[in-house]
Amino acid sequence: MSAPLQFQCREAAGLLVFYACGETSAQETALIETHLAACAACAAQLAEERGLHETLMEALQASEQFDMGGILLSQCRSELAEALDDLSAPPFEERWQPFGWLRRWMALRPVLSGAVLVLFGAALGTQLMPWISARLGSNPNEQTVNVSPAARFTDDQLAKMAVAGINFAPTSDGAPGTLQVHVRTEEPLVLSGNVDDPDLRRVLTYVIENGEQTDAGVRLDCLEVLRPRSADLDVRRALLFAARKDQNPAVRMKALESLRDAVKDAPVREALIDALEHDANPGVRVEAVNLLIRSLEPGALDSSQAPEPVLAAPGADRPLDPSMEHVVRTLQDLQRNDPNRYVRLQSAAALRQIGPREVH
Amino acid sequence: MPLPRWALALANDSGLAGGTGSSLAAVNSLPNVNERTLVAEAQAGSRAAFEELVHRYDRDVLRLALNLMKRPEDARDVYQEAFLKVYRNLHRFRFECSFYTWLYRIVTNVCLDQLRRRQARPEDQAPESNSGNHEEGITDFFERQREHRPALDPERQLFGKEIQARIASAMERLSPRERVVFELKHYQGLKLRAIGDALGTTEETVKNSLFRATRKLRSQLGGLR
Repeated sequence: MSAPLQFQCREAAGLLVFYACGETSAQETALIETHLAACAACAAQLAEERGLHETLMEALQASEQFDMGGILLSQCRSELAEALDDLSAPPFEERWQPFGWLRRWMALRPVLSGAVLVLFGAALGTQLMPWISARLGSNPNEQTVNVSPAARFTDDQLAKMAVAGINFAPTSDGAPGTLQVHVRTEEPLVLSGNVDDPDLRRVLTYVIENGEQTDAGVRLDCLEVLRPRSADLDVRRALLFAARKDQNPAVRMKALESLRDAVKDAPVREALIDALEHDANPGVRVEAVNLLIRSLEPGALDSSQAPEPVLAAPGADRPLDPSMEHVVRTLQDLQRNDPNRYVRLQSAAALRQIGPREVH
Repeated sequence: MPLPRWALALANDSGLAGGTGSSLAAVNSLPNVNERTLVAEAQAGSRAAFEELVHRYDRDVLRLALNLMKRPEDARDVYQEAFLKVYRNLHRFRFECSFYTWLYRIVTNVCLDQLRRRQARPEDQAPESNSGNHEEGITDFFERQREHRPALDPERQLFGKEIQARIASAMERLSPRERVVFELKHYQGLKLRAIGDALGTTEETVKNSLFRATRKLRSQLGGLR
């Protein structure tokens, strides 16, 4: 008898919670009530369950404590009404509809609207944008002048002008890159074209030969632009002038570098020797000695301008031409006396390349 | 303890309010319209219909929120958030259940979210109010007024002070879901099936939650009587 009762007790205990609050099925209710009639322990447990339930029910609820007068409810209703007012109010964008008629018209005619928009965009891009970029991108006082070969600057005009800046976009295929030269004259000008335009080339060479009028940076830009045209006599003359006379060593060095392709030319070689003998800047002398060595290498020389090899085979004992004599003498002097170690070493290397020569 | 009107409604889940509740409704323009019509009108954009729906059930909503959250400010947040959710999502209501059930589901979910947030970040929360410390240092005018109301008689107040504190402490140990289930069952008088509907879970799950909640409370409050 005790085993089934114990089993029923365990089973009943799990259901008493729900029995106490009326959540058992009719069958469960009947079983529990039968069991409770015979089991004092479970009846006591049920009484305890109900007691706990009553205690909880009797305890003052938070809602009773806090809102007995309905004040909190009134506050909540007011706040909700305000929030609903905010939600119901149309947003600002809906109330303020600029070009509302246009939007409605476009909504009704989507294809036509699309076409109109495309045309409008094209017109905007081709007409308005260049105008805006011209207004924003440059000085309003400047005028863009496309220089044609026929237009020639007078010497007087060149003397009065000053170059403010150079924009150069080189090309990779060897073609002359686009060039813009910003010139300050009585009326600011922008000269555009390429390095082969005679006027532009004239302005550039003028800038190099009259270094005191322009900034060293501008002169360096001019050299960079003119370097591919060092074969041109006017350009070469300007480069030689800058290599010898420019006050800025960077410009002198750049001018020498620009003459790299013309090192066999006698005036260029003289300029190199002149730099080696007289230029106080070691960087310029290093550049000069390197170019001089280059001038002695047969492969580096333009065959059309070098009818005979300069360097003789080792051991050969041929008389040197006068210009070479000058070169050898200068190199020997540099090897012994130049304050720059690199120049001395390079001079010695060049002399070894030339071979034993008897200098008269 | 009288059951909330929506508990009775949930018990039969007919979906009709029957047009009662004039004592609760502050807006009496639509007191006799049945709930289905009110919902349909609110869905069509009638603010008056929506307010009538609110006034029919908001006392019960606030009561549930207060009992669960134990703090008036949290209950206000729940009230506001729940009804705004109802307002924003009313167009999704398809009459597949009664409006009560739907509203109850929203409110209990908001409460559960708040309780879980509170549980996750207890440091951000002010201590819960209870009757014990509520009587001391009252500075609010409205709170002082409550002392003169008949429902708060001194004897009951005296009896309840200690019990109230212990019950509050015991309730704190319940999980948010157990707390909601216990509240809905014992204080809101809902059937387990209705609680399952409101919480979006099965009756069996609700039964388990109620059983665990009762066992925890019994162990905490044993020997109270």
